[in-house]
Amino acid sequence: MIEKMAKVEILGLKDIALDAIDVIHDLGTLHIEDLTERIGSMDTKRVSRMEMDPKFAEHEGTLNNLRAKVGDMIRELQPKVDEMAPEDVATEYKGIWSDNVEVMISRIQTMLQEVERDTRDTVERKSDLLVELSRLEKYAPIMGKVQPLADRVAKMTDMASIALIIERKYKAILNYLNEEISKITEGECEIISSDVDDESTAALIVFNRRYLKQVHEFLAVQDVNQVRLPSDLSKKPIDEAVGEVRARIAQIPSEIDEIDSRLVGVTDKYSVKLIAARNAIHDRLEAMDAVPKFGQTDQVFIISGWLPEPDVDPMEKALTDKFGNKVVMTVVDIREEHEAEDTPVALHNNPFTRYFEILYLLSKYPRYGTVDPTIVFAFFFPILFGMMVGDIGYGLIIMVLGWVVHRKFIDKPLINMAGFVMTIGGAWTIFFGAIYLEFFGNWITRWLGLLNADGDLDKYLLGSKNSIFKYPLDRIEGFTFMLAVCLIIGWVHMGVGLVIGIINGRRENNLKHSMEKGGLFAVLTGAMMIIAKFGMAWWPAWLAYLGALLVVAGIVLAGMGAGFGGAIEGIVGMGNLFSYARLIAIGLASVIMANVANQILLKPPMSGFGGIVVGILMFILLQTLNIVIGVFSPSIHSLRLHLVESFGKFFEPASVRYEPFKKTGGEE
Amino acid sequence: MGPALRVGLIALSAAIAIGLSAIATALAQSRIGAAMAGAIAERPELVGSAIILVAIPETMVILGFVVAFLITALKTVTK
Repeated sequence: MIEKMAKVEILGLKDIALDAIDVIHDLGTLHIEDLTERIGSMDTKRVSRMEMDPKFAEHEGTLNNLRAKVGDMIRELQPKVDEMAPEDVATEYKGIWSDNVEVMISRIQTMLQEVERDTRDTVERKSDLLVELSRLEKYAPIMGKVQPLADRVAKMTDMASIALIIERKYKAILNYLNEEISKITEGECEIISSDVDDESTAALIVFNRRYLKQVHEFLAVQDVNQVRLPSDLSKKPIDEAVGEVRARIAQIPSEIDEIDSRLVGVTDKYSVKLIAARNAIHDRLEAMDAVPKFGQTDQVFIISGWLPEPDVDPMEKALTDKFGNKVVMTVVDIREEHEAEDTPVALHNNPFTRYFEILYLLSKYPRYGTVDPTIVFAFFFPILFGMMVGDIGYGLIIMVLGWVVHRKFIDKPLINMAGFVMTIGGAWTIFFGAIYLEFFGNWITRWLGLLNADGDLDKYLLGSKNSIFKYPLDRIEGFTFMLAVCLIIGWVHMGVGLVIGIINGRRENNLKHSMEKGGLFAVLTGAMMIIAKFGMAWWPAWLAYLGALLVVAGIVLAGMGAGFGGAIEGIVGMGNLFSYARLIAIGLASVIMANVANQILLKPPMSGFGGIVVGILMFILLQTLNIVIGVFSPSIHSLRLHLVESFGKFFEPASVRYEPFKKTGGEE
Repeated sequence: MGPALRVGLIALSAAIAIGLSAIATALAQSRIGAAMAGAIAERPELVGSAIILVAIPETMVILGFVVAFLITALKTVTK
């Protein structure tokens, strides 16, 4: 459900504005309203946006610099945030935080100086080594390729050579270079090339030494990468240089490891302090950023915002306790002053339903004042999912995997929620699997001897082949029956959406909205009554005629509620019903694939031991693929049925989510 | 018309029902997919909406599948 919100305005003496902001920031329940627009539209000029003291702007710059430095340190030392005790971070945070910004800045600077002092040499050395390693690793293969060529050139004293490195895709440029350098050297040149790796080619240009200057000048103009060795190696013979490069490449990692082990000690010493500093800076800057959203007169500051109704009294008490009558908080009647669109939305669902709020990753929150459909999603999503997959074996795997994911990722809300939703979906998959009597396809019916020689279901535990209701319910043979079930589920699912639409219209005193949704519901119901006549011979004809009347009346009612668009929507709504055919279609594809895997296992394509191995491998491969598809595809389609077919009938998105002004702990 | 020809025509009809709808879905998905890939590059938060939008044309192939399955049922009706 949507949390009831209260709009409050807080006024107080300007000289205690920053203290009041700190109290509000500490409580962390107020969603701040930016007053800029309201102030701009006022006739009076007595109220203006709150401006920061120029000294504060200077502090803001300093804090931003410190944030960058702390961020660099954290990246460098890579402290394990997950392993830190939150209370340790909180203690350090308190040690750093001060209402006086200058004091806080000074504390962080002192701490940073200590960290820099302990890490400067090691970090710089490590950085140099990494650069050197990267450079040498680039040279090594090139030099390896060039070495045999250069050795031959070295024996010819009147010849010079230049090594080049070229991207393989531009290898054709070597022909051009050959032509041009031949012109410069009057034919006394040759280019030898060899591919270094998938991306680069090394080339050695050999030419008469007297053209050295002209060739260098030409290559400089052509913007070609010449291989230049590090200065300490450039004067050595290439074979010696290659040996040294390889030796350094082997040696550098151990030097880096040694530095890393020294850095571990520093990391242990400062990691909590750095994280606490990052959090404190973040919170301080956020508080500063909020200031221009407030209003002020010559004497008074004005803060406007929203908070959940249960948080109004604690906010009022905190302000009164700290400032007495110097700060006053009033609750504004939102029915008079504000439209529902402006009200920030917070959801308050029970612990079970809360996991299904994962839906709002794909959609905005519902608008304030309307019905929160999370519970509808929590009820129908796993059912639709389970109905599509419908296999006891798959359900067990999905449920266990979902639960493991849910328990393992407690600190990662998104994955945790997805795991829980998967678990419930798995449970419904088992339920529908029991109805279809499917266990990795047709194993149970096979063991019970219900299949004929072709592998089709021939006998039933309850009822017979010609009964309407029989058990097990075979999705292949009972396709038409299942199609009818899907349409009924579609009618219920969309009907729930339309009833919510009617309630939303009533809540907003919008009779036309309710009429439109009621008309659409009548159209859907009428369409179902007509379809029933085609599917069931015993269905009374008068009910089909009544259905036709309902369709016409519904289209008229929807048209009265929402004009031409409403009438069109009524007709489209009937089409939406058939979209629920996917519930059986996707499930059918899944069961056929499972049965094919079983068939391959039982009758492998080859005889003998090889056939058994191939059969088992194909069985495992196809069943695994089917489970993967069975998790992904039904999830997408169940989601789509909610977001398009059902929620599309009533859902009105909120423009603002409730985001309280609070100390976030530095999560950026 | 011989029974074999009748079964063959039924199978062909079913194949056309699902084949054409699959081609239509593929064409629609290729365009939506390309557009959404571009949109996600600009705004990664659209990935959820992209999955739903790409799934929308699948209605065509699903209905094609249903129709094809109903057509194959004719095989037993006309026996």
